[in-house]
Amino acid sequence: MHSTETLWSNGTSCPAASADGGCADDQIAGDGYTCRFEQGARPESLILNMGPQHPSTHGVLRVLLELDGEYIVRAEPVLGYLHRMHEKMAEVKTPAQFMPNMGRVDYLHALAWNWAYVGAVEKLAGIEIPERAEYLRVITCELNRISSHLLWWGAYLLDLGAFTPIMYAFDDREMLLDLLQLMTGSRLTYSSFRFGGVYTDASPAFVQGVRQFIPHLRSRLPMYTALVTENIILRRRIEEVGVIPQDMVTRYGASGPVARGSGIAYDVRRAEPYSVYDRFDYEIPVRHEECSMARYMVRMAEIEQSLRIIEQAIESLPDGEHMHPKAPKPSFKLPAGESYFAVEGARGKIGVWIASDGGKTPYRVKLRAPGFSNLALFAECARGTLLADAVAILGSLDMVIPEIDR
Amino acid sequence: MTPETAYVTPDVLLAPLDPAYLADETPARTGLRWSAFLSADALPRAATLLLQAGWHLEDICGLDVREGLMAVYHFDRMTSPGRLAIRVLMDRAAPVLPSIADIHQGAEWHERETADFYGIAFTGNPNPAPLLLPEGMQGHPLLKGEAARAPLAALLAVPGREDTVLRKAEGFTLLDPAEDAKPAKPAKARAAATEEGADNA
Repeated sequence: MHSTETLWSNGTSCPAASADGGCADDQIAGDGYTCRFEQGARPESLILNMGPQHPSTHGVLRVLLELDGEYIVRAEPVLGYLHRMHEKMAEVKTPAQFMPNMGRVDYLHALAWNWAYVGAVEKLAGIEIPERAEYLRVITCELNRISSHLLWWGAYLLDLGAFTPIMYAFDDREMLLDLLQLMTGSRLTYSSFRFGGVYTDASPAFVQGVRQFIPHLRSRLPMYTALVTENIILRRRIEEVGVIPQDMVTRYGASGPVARGSGIAYDVRRAEPYSVYDRFDYEIPVRHEECSMARYMVRMAEIEQSLRIIEQAIESLPDGEHMHPKAPKPSFKLPAGESYFAVEGARGKIGVWIASDGGKTPYRVKLRAPGFSNLALFAECARGTLLADAVAILGSLDMVIPEIDR
Repeated sequence: MTPETAYVTPDVLLAPLDPAYLADETPARTGLRWSAFLSADALPRAATLLLQAGWHLEDICGLDVREGLMAVYHFDRMTSPGRLAIRVLMDRAAPVLPSIADIHQGAEWHERETADFYGIAFTGNPNPAPLLLPEGMQGHPLLKGEAARAPLAALLAVPGREDTVLRKAEGFTLLDPAEDAKPAKPAKARAAATEEGADNA
């Protein structure tokens, strides 16, 4: 309950809110969002508040649902429960001080956010990166992508009622975390990229570990398929559920496996090539079914493609420095100007826009989170589906709430 | 609306809207391929033309500069990519923009976020409730104090940017070099105080 009057961004107060922030109508319980949502409901509908503590909302997403029996008439995600105002922090910290934040925006693919930010800074300041560092970035970022997809896989199946797969996924993911720990010093919230390179060089133990991990995971993937992907219960749950046509992808600016599951072969690594990705032979998996199963299949295929990239990169890892000899000191000043740098994260296109006036801290930093646009289409996608399908659809979008709320 | 739509470059596409400024950019330097300044009235029409030509909205960024409040719309394409930045300047006293959420539905959340951070009102947004900040919160966290505001030219018109200006309306002076390109920044003092910490990072 708030003591101040509820102010909406158009300057008016919520139509049904009373002075204490609750609802004037005592038949309606809840905050301003519920009140407003209730206003548009049909009299025979049931309003259901899902989350922010519901396990399948992965963190703290809240969804308001209007139900007709078991069918969803209307849905509205309510965000902000994990909002930390990273964009404000970026304006009061130097680029080097802001780097640790990049491990905490999307904690499942932290290195992609590392990369988006260092990429924008390097582009703006004209900082060069040694070739060995580019390779190390590719290897660690792809390892991180696999660990993100493995966690998604386990957690998604858990949402759908399959308890065992996450045990297998976490078994394999644990090896990845051990490897990434050697390179980054952390197990989850990595911030190991530096302007002009990476924090540590690859040790022989890391190179050896990666070489062993590739055949190991490849030997496990057929078991994943046999155990889960071909399971009839799973397929009935997610096939033809959560259909996202191509025009919906465009209207919402969705990207990543959500776009590729709808037949759009859009991948930032190809569309806006960066680093040394053009040197490797790999495919962009695309499915045309547009449903939750299509997005599932895209992610499973991406694990194999990431292994291909890592295999080529580790075998052709060039000698040299992991930091450019002319890399700036952490206290360097950003030159004036703007730069936009995009990378392909596990959830899609991550973009960082920096505008600088030449001061010590950036003037403005915008963080474009792929999950934000991907989740925005949920309300339209879920309309007319069953309540149980909402869980299948939300999970298939692979949302990471800290990235969406930022 | 499908991504296969034939590619029409934004300078041709937006020509009927008579943009005050339109430039061909160098992606290797800024990450942008095109940039344009539009009036607020022209925004919905531009959004419609872009959607029909297969462009999608990437994000909406607010920006507080000396000349007023600004919103930067980043658009991109799935096929033949190349980023387009559309910039709209508003009067600080009445920062209002027409919503484009009825055209690009993904804009609804971007607009609500920009409203949270900058207090810009988007008329026609279907659900103008706070998105990320709490209900009833007063103030907008990304607005800058008067001393901290930089002129737009100090951010966007830097030496060596090498854009090719394709259109420039008469009297368009927003990107002319400002007399004092570097205003006093209060954030500087704080950054200097924690410089030791940065060196240890």
